[in-house]
Amino acid sequence: MEQATLSFKARAERALADPTLKIAIDRTTGTAERKRALAMSQFPQFEAARDRARRIKDHVIANLEHYLLEFERNAIASGAKVYWAATAEEASQIVVRLCKEAGAKRVTRVKSMLGEEIGLPHALDEAGIDRVETDLAEHIVQLGGDRPSHIVWPSMHRTREQVSEMFKRRHRAPHQEETIEAMVDSARRELRDKFLSADVAISGANFLIADSGATCTVTNEGNAELTTTPPRVHIVTAGIEKLVPSMGHAIAMLRVLVRSATGADVTQYTTFHCGPKQAGDRDGPEEFHIVLVDNGRTRMLREGMREMLRCIRCGACMNHCVVFRQLGGHVYGGTYPGPMGAVLTPVFDGLEKSRDLPHACTMNGKCQEVCPVAIPLPTLLRGWRDRSWREGLEPGVVRFGLGVHTFFALRPRLYRLATAMAIRVMRLFSRGGVVRGMPGLGAWTAHREFPAPARRSFMEMYKDQEGGR
Amino acid sequence: MSARDSILDAVRTGLGHVRTDPAAARREAAALLQDLDAIRPALLAEDLVEAFVARLVTPKVAATAERIADAAGLPAAVARYLEARGLPAVVALQPAAVLQALDWSGFERHDRVAPDETIAVGAARWGIAETGSLVFHSDAETPILANFLPLHHLVMVRADAILAYLDDYAAATAGQRPPRNVNIITGASGTTDIEGSLVLGAHGPRYLHVVIVGRHPGEAA
Repeated sequence: MEQATLSFKARAERALADPTLKIAIDRTTGTAERKRALAMSQFPQFEAARDRARRIKDHVIANLEHYLLEFERNAIASGAKVYWAATAEEASQIVVRLCKEAGAKRVTRVKSMLGEEIGLPHALDEAGIDRVETDLAEHIVQLGGDRPSHIVWPSMHRTREQVSEMFKRRHRAPHQEETIEAMVDSARRELRDKFLSADVAISGANFLIADSGATCTVTNEGNAELTTTPPRVHIVTAGIEKLVPSMGHAIAMLRVLVRSATGADVTQYTTFHCGPKQAGDRDGPEEFHIVLVDNGRTRMLREGMREMLRCIRCGACMNHCVVFRQLGGHVYGGTYPGPMGAVLTPVFDGLEKSRDLPHACTMNGKCQEVCPVAIPLPTLLRGWRDRSWREGLEPGVVRFGLGVHTFFALRPRLYRLATAMAIRVMRLFSRGGVVRGMPGLGAWTAHREFPAPARRSFMEMYKDQEGGR
Repeated sequence: MSARDSILDAVRTGLGHVRTDPAAARREAAALLQDLDAIRPALLAEDLVEAFVARLVTPKVAATAERIADAAGLPAAVARYLEARGLPAVVALQPAAVLQALDWSGFERHDRVAPDETIAVGAARWGIAETGSLVFHSDAETPILANFLPLHHLVMVRADAILAYLDDYAAATAGQRPPRNVNIITGASGTTDIEGSLVLGAHGPRYLHVVIVGRHPGEAA
């Protein structure tokens, strides 16, 4: 994808220049923000529930080895096969190998961000396996040949007009009427026989239940169950941080996850998958495989990013992020966009390649405020900024600028003199309360106003007060 | 070293080689599920059936519901539902003994759900008042696809099987061998994937109608 080869700034400029993108982002994130706010107003227990959810995740992470082994033992006892993958490549290779061993021509997939993270769509395509994305948004992404732009609404970057055009071109019996209802119906018709004719189903997991070995998926469309029931083989890929001790703990997590993601109290379908088809069952797969994926998670434990392993992928941080809402998700260049993505992408891709992401943040703290597991996202982003500086990854102009600033900041007299001069210069360019046409300030004033300096500076007034005592 | 060993080793290193005492972990995990009323919403009504129905018919869940005195009345309730919508009396009946035992004369019925099935009738094991959810376990009487393929899903649930909270379902089944699938179903299938606007009938049922049979033990006659 050509987007990926551009710099962050170039991608951002391109996104800002795209008027349809801004409309599409506003429609989805605006709705999400309103629905979440309404759900919170009806759930006064949220703060307590959020604190409990945070403690549940902290407990699991602090005892991660214990819960991983307990989960593995119970999953095997339920008839599942368990695999471990240290890297993204290992994980997608295991899945492709299992598909080949099953003689799979067609696989159906349930949306899973971990699947995206390990490059599974690409690996399946490379292996020549017919991959059918069954989540409506992922279906739209697949038809459009691009990447998810949001972790809950992957096709958020598409307007209804664009979706209509794609469906008309690619569906066998497309909609006639230009309504979203008719478009959804068109996808329902298009995907129905594919659900039933797949050889292998691949899903992710929202939770791994240690005391039963079950995996849990939450969806609103019902595509998870339609995907994972008919094929002979079901493969689950999940990050090792997805564990919870029991179903009761999963339920406590669900209450904050769903409200934070979509504003509903619970998803339409919450399903616990435990092992393959049992004796007497009317339907279900004969083989059930679970791939546990590390891919940087143990590194996060080691490198002071333990809190990030609490993340339950609700998307609230991006829906409330002023930067994300201007740019959309593709600009971030990784699997995960927005604030959580800016923390995670440097783990996966290396800080050299993604040092712009921790900088694309105003530090307004909104993401942490809405996070259902209270992840200190701004602190973690600041950690990356700090590290980028220490490792010498910041460009020369930034280093120079900060050097100049440090020089003056360490010499208060000189600093006051310099700022007093700067204020005088700015006044020369002030008209009607704002600074206009001042050389060197163009990058700022092109998009927003720079207020004219007050008639008297704070320091001047402070000195007067001190003198008057 | 296998991937399994290297991951477990990295976990141990990352956690500073502090070993878990299983008994302590169990105690701590149990403590995290104490005082549940502080972290879950209040029910919409004091009476469980009332609370369940109230939740089912909220715009968020968007199901319809009715009550009948006993299971023998279910075929008549299904007939009324179909008639009101001008639908034919052709139903896929979940192969559950409790449904098969009823008198379905006047219906054309089959027990395998077709890919484009219009109407399926099923029986849920539990109802959840907190969320208006229905709970199904996969087994010989419960094909999972029957819950997802039809356009109209009509589900019977006994009033005395309505639990207050999702946690009560977890407690009721703790220690038992889990079925392959536990489906917790809340309303009809929906999607907000095109511009965030909600459309029902994405892949699963577009309509969910719940028939509550009998009375809850705590209910006044």
